[in-house]
Amino acid sequence: MPFSSQPPIPIKEKISVSYMVKKLRDRVHINLICCAAEDCSEHRYVREADLHRPGLALAGYVKLFTYQRIQVIGNTETQFLDNLPKEQQIQALKNITQFEIPVIFLTDGNTFPDYLLEIVNEAGIPVYSTPYETTRFMFLLRDFLDDQFALQTMVHGAMVDVYGIGILIVGKSGIGKSEVALDLVERGHRLVADDVVMLTKKSSVLMASATEMSKHFMEIRGLGIIDVMSMFGIRSVRYQKRLEVVMELTLWDDTHDVNRTGLDHDSVNLLDLEIPQIKLPITPGKNITVIAEVIAMNHLLKHYGYDPAEAFQERIKATISEKAKGTGSSFTRAIEYFEGDIE
Amino acid sequence: MLYSEMIKKKVTILNSSGLHARPSAALVKLAGQFKSDFYIHMYGYRVNGKSILGVMTLAAEQGAELVFEVNGSDEKEALNAILELVENKFGMEDE
Repeated sequence: MPFSSQPPIPIKEKISVSYMVKKLRDRVHINLICCAAEDCSEHRYVREADLHRPGLALAGYVKLFTYQRIQVIGNTETQFLDNLPKEQQIQALKNITQFEIPVIFLTDGNTFPDYLLEIVNEAGIPVYSTPYETTRFMFLLRDFLDDQFALQTMVHGAMVDVYGIGILIVGKSGIGKSEVALDLVERGHRLVADDVVMLTKKSSVLMASATEMSKHFMEIRGLGIIDVMSMFGIRSVRYQKRLEVVMELTLWDDTHDVNRTGLDHDSVNLLDLEIPQIKLPITPGKNITVIAEVIAMNHLLKHYGYDPAEAFQERIKATISEKAKGTGSSFTRAIEYFEGDIE
Repeated sequence: MLYSEMIKKKVTILNSSGLHARPSAALVKLAGQFKSDFYIHMYGYRVNGKSILGVMTLAAEQGAELVFEVNGSDEKEALNAILELVENKFGMEDE
């Protein structure tokens, strides 16, 4: 596969706590109040997307304690601490602050009493409090971290949104990927990226976008660089689109194994996800743009539960079994009775 | 298409103004004359060296270190020609 052999790399290996808190406030709109050690937040780093609730560690069991993760202290942990005498509360918190914890979040509007804040201040572990309920907060935080640490790869091709279906056009240099993309844009579809497509894995979905640099520029051989957004306007571009179908353009040769029925589904592996792939040999007189539209519509049809290849297959099977019973014939006219040319 | 070997070579950009549009065009044009696949590695990413937008996206500055990867039946000739171009600062007067 000429376009998918590049090793994926994570967008980021680590993010600082101060950066994370700023983004959570600005982008995820989470209200976070700093309770302790804010000045340390620039030098504390989060390196993984997983979260941890340190209930057992507070109780003293610190074997296998995943201290390198973000620690979320919810109602259970807070009440556990509250029900202890003061000295034991301090001891319990010290059980976890002896480790290099990146950050502690207190959910449901909980806070630490001053004598506990003193301990985390001393340990230099930033503590933030949020009014969000624990599971809701963990979901939002997890989603944000998944995005920050997502795997990313760069592929060579053109990404277009055709009727809402994200199609990645790939193929050898000079085969005409950009021209097909331009033709699609001209017919009202939306360009995501040309030539350099960034793919990001978000849960089980691949999101495609351009790079900041090449955003909505395109190279047309013989003409040079054009700017699709200035030329065709805002409706002709998109910043991001889920990748749903890969369309590979190949030069025609007779040995090529071309799918004739559509019953077999080819796919390509990108960042460990299987993406449906259609291999399209180019022949003179073939309108690739229209075929791209048909691919999108066919994908939509299948998505809504109608697979034309399967439907046809069923029809053949039904006719064969009827013929076996001696009741059917394959060359029945599509209409039973001609009333005249008045349909 | 399986070729037994693939050549990789570390390269430093010598142009004072880096790999901007014209040098990129010269590089892409030259690479396009060969059958071999040509890729450029930078920042852990790999871009197609025959795609001008890909090469320009790197925005490689003077002194930037790239790795060229050439793979195909004429890989040796291709790499030599490309290296010569880089050494000649892409045939451009230093701006």
